[in-house]
Amino acid sequence: MARHWRWFFWGVGAALAAALLVLIFLGYQAPELLLDLANLRYCG
Amino acid sequence: MADPMLQRTNNMSPSSPSAWRTPTLILVCGCIILTLSMGIRHTGGLFLQPMTGALGWNREVFSFAFAIQNLVWGLGSPFAGAFADRYGAGRVIAASALLYVVGLALMAVSSTGLALDLSAGVLVGLGLSGTTFAVIMGVIGRHTTPEKRSLALGIASAGGSFGQFAVLPIGQALISSFGWQAALFLLACGVGLIAPLAYAMADGHKHVSGAGQSAGAALVEAGGQRSFHYLFWSYFVCGFQTAFIMLHLPSFAVDSGFSANVGMTGIALIGLFNIFGSFLFGWAGGKGSKKNLLMLIYGARVVVIGAFMLAPLSVTSIWIFSACMGLLWLATVPLTNGLIAQVFGLRFMSMLAGIVFLGHQLGSFLGAWLGGMIFDKTGSYDLAWLLSIGLSVIAAILCWPIDERPVQRAEPKPAGA
Repeated sequence: MARHWRWFFWGVGAALAAALLVLIFLGYQAPELLLDLANLRYCG
Repeated sequence: MADPMLQRTNNMSPSSPSAWRTPTLILVCGCIILTLSMGIRHTGGLFLQPMTGALGWNREVFSFAFAIQNLVWGLGSPFAGAFADRYGAGRVIAASALLYVVGLALMAVSSTGLALDLSAGVLVGLGLSGTTFAVIMGVIGRHTTPEKRSLALGIASAGGSFGQFAVLPIGQALISSFGWQAALFLLACGVGLIAPLAYAMADGHKHVSGAGQSAGAALVEAGGQRSFHYLFWSYFVCGFQTAFIMLHLPSFAVDSGFSANVGMTGIALIGLFNIFGSFLFGWAGGKGSKKNLLMLIYGARVVVIGAFMLAPLSVTSIWIFSACMGLLWLATVPLTNGLIAQVFGLRFMSMLAGIVFLGHQLGSFLGAWLGGMIFDKTGSYDLAWLLSIGLSVIAAILCWPIDERPVQRAEPKPAGA
């Protein structure tokens, strides 16, 4: 595979991974998860 | 195409039936297994409220079952590792995944505390023993060159970290959408995916370092090395700190007058930065001294916890603390497992890693329990934070005399191990 294509696919992959991590991070702000904070205090 | 990163074990020639088990495939499968296993385990706490509400239990019934799970996980790890070393990791991972699935399914239909203890506690704990770090790291370790091993272990560790970070909101979404019983069955299906992946992890390892050694001899050898004891006790400290912080940071934030959102974001930041920390220290372990990096991690924890205690408490300080601790969170895993492989060889790596992990779990048990007890007795977490700092100083000192040289045995020097 040509070098520039390799860089391109790595870049796309990294961007998608970053977007996924941000989405998951936002998932932690879900009201249900906050309500269940008490549960985490018991079981981690 | 030559694998760019890893190497085959000597008994896997390209023409053998195992040729499709490329090292990169093994690493990818190991990461997915750790993501599923560690991530789904992490959702356990989310079931406290719906289960206790539906079944009329008090919280002690539920938390006791999960305390049993943590202890069984730790106690089972050396045995799962020994079985993996003796009979092959694939069988152990598949059998453990089955126990994990059955445990989650029975948890969904448990109506008594004893049933919960046996399902969520014993069965899931045993399932975790064979599907987490000790066994998976052993397989990956056996398929990597010494130069790339630490990086590969770091990538696998980052996989487990990603699971802890990613599956928690998914678990909550499942409970909210389908109810807690259906969510448990769906999570059990997720664990079931581990079984076919285990096929890729079925490794032969007759030609690795220490092939002529028995398990008993490996135990005696490791027990006679101070470095092994230093690793065990430093890992104990790691378990103490991570369990204490994960369990008590949210309540610490709420008790200090902040909203629940602050503590939850702190947990999310720990999970997020944990992924990068695991990878980063795994990579660094391949470049420099692993024991020095362990000293750096435990020393940095002293600084981070100390600064958190001394600085005025604010939302920013909680989040900075969480991000810094996240970087140092499971960063000890690739370094500790890498040191075991480096010093004691690969033949019984899973068993020895399992024993050291038992130390981690004992520390976790104490960290979770003592944190609560100290708060109940004194009305604050100050003493628990101080204890964490003191233990971290001891762990850093314990890592200093670790001898990183391979133990000398009366056997021919193995190639590539």
